[in-house]
Amino acid sequence: MSTAINKEYINPVGKSVPKIDGKGIVTGQIKYVFDVSFPNMLVGKMIRSPHPHARIISIDTSKAEKLPGVKAIVTAKDTHGIKFGSNEYFFPHTVDQQALEGDKVRYIGDEIGAVAAIDEETAEKAISLIDVQYEVLPAVFDMVEAMKPGAPQIHTAMNNIAVILPVNFGNVERALKESDYVREDVFYSQAAAHCAMEPHVCVGQFENFSNKITLWSSSQAPFKCREALAKCLKMDLNDVRVIKLAVGGGFGGKLEMLPMDFASCLLSKKCGGLPVKITYTREEEFAFSRRKHGMLYKLKSGVKKDGTLMAISGEVIADGGAYCSYGPTVMAAAIMRTFMVYKIKNFRINGYRVYTNNPISGAIRGFGGVQSGFSIESHMDLLAEGIGMDPVEFRLKNITEPNMVTVNKMYLTSNGLRECIEKAIVAADWKGKRGKQKHLCRGIGIGIAADVMGSKMYKSHESAGSILKVEEDGSVYLFTGAADTGQGSNTALSQIAAQELGVSYSRIRCKSGDTEITPFDTGSFASRVTFISGNATKRAATDAKKQILTIIAEELKTNIEDLDIQAEQVINKKDNKALMTFDKALELCYSFNYGRQIIGRGSYNPKTTPVDFRTGEGNVSGSYGFEAQIAEVEVNKETGEVKILKMWDAHDIGKAINPQSVEGQIEGSIAMGIGYTFYEDLKFKNGRVVNPNFANYRLPKSIGTVPIETIMIETNDPEGPFGAKGMGEASLLPTSAAIANAIHDAVGIRMKELPITPDKVLKALKEKELAEKK
Amino acid sequence: MTTLMINKTKYEVELKGHETLLEVLRDKLGLTGTKTSCMESECGACVVNIDKKAILSCITLAKDVEEKEVTTIEGLSDGETLHPAQQAFLDKGAAQCGFCIPGMIMSSNALLEKTHTPTQEEMEYALDGNICRCTGYIKIFEAVREAGQVMKKKGH
Repeated sequence: MSTAINKEYINPVGKSVPKIDGKGIVTGQIKYVFDVSFPNMLVGKMIRSPHPHARIISIDTSKAEKLPGVKAIVTAKDTHGIKFGSNEYFFPHTVDQQALEGDKVRYIGDEIGAVAAIDEETAEKAISLIDVQYEVLPAVFDMVEAMKPGAPQIHTAMNNIAVILPVNFGNVERALKESDYVREDVFYSQAAAHCAMEPHVCVGQFENFSNKITLWSSSQAPFKCREALAKCLKMDLNDVRVIKLAVGGGFGGKLEMLPMDFASCLLSKKCGGLPVKITYTREEEFAFSRRKHGMLYKLKSGVKKDGTLMAISGEVIADGGAYCSYGPTVMAAAIMRTFMVYKIKNFRINGYRVYTNNPISGAIRGFGGVQSGFSIESHMDLLAEGIGMDPVEFRLKNITEPNMVTVNKMYLTSNGLRECIEKAIVAADWKGKRGKQKHLCRGIGIGIAADVMGSKMYKSHESAGSILKVEEDGSVYLFTGAADTGQGSNTALSQIAAQELGVSYSRIRCKSGDTEITPFDTGSFASRVTFISGNATKRAATDAKKQILTIIAEELKTNIEDLDIQAEQVINKKDNKALMTFDKALELCYSFNYGRQIIGRGSYNPKTTPVDFRTGEGNVSGSYGFEAQIAEVEVNKETGEVKILKMWDAHDIGKAINPQSVEGQIEGSIAMGIGYTFYEDLKFKNGRVVNPNFANYRLPKSIGTVPIETIMIETNDPEGPFGAKGMGEASLLPTSAAIANAIHDAVGIRMKELPITPDKVLKALKEKELAEKK
Repeated sequence: MTTLMINKTKYEVELKGHETLLEVLRDKLGLTGTKTSCMESECGACVVNIDKKAILSCITLAKDVEEKEVTTIEGLSDGETLHPAQQAFLDKGAAQCGFCIPGMIMSSNALLEKTHTPTQEEMEYALDGNICRCTGYIKIFEAVREAGQVMKKKGH
């Protein structure tokens, strides 16, 4: 080992070791696809529809082709007409998008072609010279209007409903009749943007003679990308290589292919194999990538006087935009999350994922849980209020417990939800503050949530693989298919590998997300990487360790069962005595007599059952994470502004592999949640995004940063690597509701529509005043 | 030919006149540590230091920085040990995806050049032009505070 072993990083699990790529980040040396450049690389630009809904009559590229500097133009004619989509396995009919559309366009920005040129200016000029004739069709932008008979037909789905999801258990009618208090509420959560700092960017290169493609893509799921590329370009999987470098944020927006990924490869093929780089502008990012589903959540539920939750029913309508993307499963997740949180026997919610001529909705951090979190958790407060019960007491009475099976057959094993609530209310002084600060226009509110650790999005499995290569100088190379998008999965996986192998974290070098080199992994989504890829990595380390110890046992003529590697030493487990250093052990493995390479392998596929999307039954995840969040706010009755005084977040994370990183995920989630609650709002007018820039789409900035207190609850999950569970998304789910519930506590108004703007607050205050006068 | 002084190194660059400093850094000199996320002065990922001030390189013409001292993220450390701001961002977990971090560190450095003990308000204002989507800023403030302490001790 050329560099000295850092002793502080021995037994790294549970320690806040620095990010494995941290030095590259703080020095600017780390490379993103955004930074990639090759000799003779061309600039690619997408040709987009100016209409929200139109039939393509003709595309004439002849003028553009003659422009000096233009190297290639591709349209649907250059594709095989094979569609791609993201819910292929569960909802095959929702695979509805072409690499490049040739017959019809369905939203402003729909990709009908692409240009490769020597520079951006030439590419843009070429696009302006392309003559596309359209027959403009009537369009529909409102999801409720889109469902009405006679609305413009966007795809073949009847009434533009791409997917109906009926989730139905027990007897809702009877349970509502038996309830002492029943109420109906309607909530609306708006569309929003991911805003990863690194825009979507890719470089495609086609090798003409060997018929191979390499795509460098800022992707959360390189293996899914490879699958879609191979399918749509009619190539073998092994002829497609997708490489992910450092990724400048994803948040769900880089989970699936965009037409640009196909286009860069098609352009490269057409211009003789020159690499073609396509970089989205910030405007394209806002207007033509993916977005959060605007969601209407109608609820009717009943409770007993003693607080027993009897039934939840309702309807969810999601504005899906022009194509399905991840929409059907976002819809499912938005509905089914409630089972993880509340013990409920009678449940009936129908979900409608609706096509409109708006930009495409898809996966975004929280995966439907932000919209449902706001709706369900606000509704629960209203139910508690209706029977005069404290919202915390109401929740404690109805929440799920450890080791239980939910009505839809989810197996909840470790479950720290109760502890989360109890610890959070103590930290926030719930009892001292709730209802007692109205004279200051201050209030406190709670929201609770749960999340999965993965879900089977890829064919029938969601396995992850890891390889651990230990070399003669004691270097340890971890190869994982998992895609670190900045959240720090390479760091957590390296910590797990080092801990299990018994060496310092400083030994590990991590290579991730290259479909030709690293083992398969479905990608970064559903908070799955620590849990699933972590288990695969732990198994690879166990395997490598066993290989090393086999040799040591042979050499020392002892039983392998008596040996272990701990803290950089091979030890005799009987007396805990050190027998030799790890370096010495490796020297022996690679010595004249043995010469055996140490290559550990591990694979993990969680024990789950497939979800039946006709009913909502199935154990989607191998483990579940839980959390409680409290917000304290102060409302300015003159201006309608809401100031958050503090947030508390108690999170059952199983075990913190890296506490600093856990805090970072929680703080980042809450900041995102606060932005969404108050001002992040992707606005459309006739299908066009009207605020596609940071000046008009406001993001949380440093001024007014809210203090956050993180409380980590370690329930040591029986299936998690070192007891760990995933936790990258859950803290975002209850934020809007916790804030809305706190506003209600402060000034008695109920905000049912996000974002909560000062205008809406003032309007609600005025309405309340008028109602009180009557 | 225009002479630019970047990270204490002289570069002779041929300019047509309209090139931004960001374009020159990234495309002509290969200094890709400086990022951009919007190209229109809204995100702060392109911040560099010019004569110790935090400047958006995406709206600065390269020809206008002639005879000025430009420092980018690549020039912040001495090449052997990390600059205290870099070290503190690493230690405090202030970087997640890292795409905003070069700009964030350069804005922080400009602030720390003025004061080693910035108040919360001073930090919030100094960094308000730098968008970070990952961290929620809390750990970034911790890092700036820590860096200031170290710089004070080391007499930076």
